[in-house]
Amino acid sequence: MEVDVAVIGCGPAGIQAAMHASRKKTSVVVMGRIQSSAIHGCRLDNYLGTGKTEGSAILEEGRAQAESTGARFLGQNVIAAAGTGNGFDLTVEDGTEYHAKAVVLATGISRKKLGIPGEKELFGKGVSYCAVCDCNFYKGRKAVIVGNDSEAATSAEMMTSYASETSWVTWETVADRSLVAKAEKAGVRIYGSKPESITGTDRVEALVLEDGTSIPTDGVFIELGAKSSADLAMDLGAMPEIDDTLKVGRDMSTGVPGLFACGDITGRPWQVAKAVGEGCVAGTSAADFAKGAK
Amino acid sequence: MVTEVTESTFDNFVSSNKVAVVDCWAPWCGPCRRMGPIIDEIAEELAGKVAVGKLNTDENQGIAMKYNINAIPTILIFKDGKLVDSPVGLRPKEDLIEIITSV
Repeated sequence: MEVDVAVIGCGPAGIQAAMHASRKKTSVVVMGRIQSSAIHGCRLDNYLGTGKTEGSAILEEGRAQAESTGARFLGQNVIAAAGTGNGFDLTVEDGTEYHAKAVVLATGISRKKLGIPGEKELFGKGVSYCAVCDCNFYKGRKAVIVGNDSEAATSAEMMTSYASETSWVTWETVADRSLVAKAEKAGVRIYGSKPESITGTDRVEALVLEDGTSIPTDGVFIELGAKSSADLAMDLGAMPEIDDTLKVGRDMSTGVPGLFACGDITGRPWQVAKAVGEGCVAGTSAADFAKGAK
Repeated sequence: MVTEVTESTFDNFVSSNKVAVVDCWAPWCGPCRRMGPIIDEIAEELAGKVAVGKLNTDENQGIAMKYNINAIPTILIFKDGKLVDSPVGLRPKEDLIEIITSV
């Protein structure tokens, strides 16, 4: 499907970008889930003119404003992205493909750690945060994927081509049903309890769940949330800094023609006020770029 | 300069340099792609003191198995032919230089 502007991310930066891009009479789709925004579930008291406000209320009202000027919220994460040199190809969880003239990256900064005993100690000794990177080292060995989103489902299915036994630990599953079905069909064993600890001394030996289950394994692949902002940026042609942020110009351009970024992904301060200001600029710049590219 | 190292040149690369650093990577690994330019800079900054190479773990799986590599990027650091450290994951240039120069 052809669109002028695709916004990736459903927080204050992304929604504001969608609002301004759609007001410039461009076709806009917004990818991601509002519930994944860092302010969803938080109470704000430092955003201009709103007093004490629930983050979810700002997001919902913002979505309604953006929808009123034509932006379409897909409620789905991006699972594949590529810069084509002439726009950007994006695939969302149900398999729908979009070709966008301009993209606004407003994914926020990934928070990918589980924070359980053994995770830090066994990193590189069986604990990994990148199934795509490290699957090759698990040929004929046992692997467990940890995560609730489509990214984890996709990783689990992929891992069955390498590992002798693939398990997937998912306790609050939000992954697309068709991707869960694919993983099951590929032979993935699914566990429904939250991870509690990773055991082993020199190497990973097992993942222990809160319900007491111990899954013997050689590898634990932590795949929390959607595709990471850094991976998305690279797939679209931009190179993130070491802290996963992207450098942007005054117009929120990234250096990749047609790719703009705003919000937490451009660095501190991680504040709604800053995200919204940047979103306004990024949405306007992306719409201008898309119109020029028409 | 970063030397492309393979299974057939690995032993010679390690043994013929006082300190040898090998960046183990693969093309589809995002963190590895970000590590690439950092390794290039390290090679330039430590030129004459440290030999820096890179090894594609997909094409050279024997080395990955020999050194028990489970995740990439992994940086193998050798001194006098012996493995002395093997930091895993994307790290800032300054951290890696400190690790390499302190061996």
